[in-house]
Amino acid sequence: MAKLAAQLKIINRLHIFRAEHRITQEQLAKEIGVTRATIVAIEGGGYNPSLELAFRLARYFKADINDLFSVEEESK
Amino acid sequence: MRKLDSLLLRVFLYGLPIVIAFAVFVYPYDLETSDRAGGYIKALYNFGGFVFGAWMILSIYLSVRLIVSGLFREKVLAKITFIKERDEREEILTGKAAKSTMLTSLAILLFLLCLSCFQVSVYSERPEKAIDGKTTIVSLNVNFNALQSNQQGELEELLQKENMVSYSGLPVSSSAVILGLIIWQIISYNFSMRRLLK
Repeated sequence: MAKLAAQLKIINRLHIFRAEHRITQEQLAKEIGVTRATIVAIEGGGYNPSLELAFRLARYFKADINDLFSVEEESK
Repeated sequence: MRKLDSLLLRVFLYGLPIVIAFAVFVYPYDLETSDRAGGYIKALYNFGGFVFGAWMILSIYLSVRLIVSGLFREKVLAKITFIKERDEREEILTGKAAKSTMLTSLAILLFLLCLSCFQVSVYSERPEKAIDGKTTIVSLNVNFNALQSNQQGELEELLQKENMVSYSGLPVSSSAVILGLIIWQIISYNFSMRRLLK
């Protein structure tokens, strides 16, 4: 039970996928239908996208959602 | 938003400078002066009165529409308050900013309620009414009126006494409080939103 309640940290590799596809934050934002500030916030770890947006990003990069986002337990 | 509402909103906004210009124009004239002046001044006075009356009715209609129509409210008030919800992140931040604004507004309202209900008065009584030889009285009251009542009698009673310090409710009008709260809501929301967007 205590393990489930532990703080989880979402790690994203969006900037890596973006670099691989040679696409700017602005272009990605336009393609996905969000603002550039949101892409900046996701890449910086300041915002965790909704499941829907996460799947949209994964679909855009033709990747598995687990490759784009992963979870690790936050050490206290 | 219905086409009629959109049209009436434009009429309301474009009519505002006309109403202000009319108010500036008629400021030196009262009903008698304009009647005596005759000619175009009287005609203009009458026309301005008609425009002002129509504008007042329009403003009441639009404010009622804002209450009853969710779509109209969202379109108009979102523009006035600079609410932007372009994606899911901004929607979440809008919710957080709105919550912060609601809670701070509630805190201010509670404070204003205290200020408007509490009455404090320090006054001197006549020597024959002294209590234990003391003539300086501190009077504390909590006064809550759901409806605005005529407090002339109480005021006269207070004036008869030699007041040293007296506080009886907020010294501002209800219109000023409402306007202040509207401005506060807009400023507070935008301040919270800017802080969250950083």
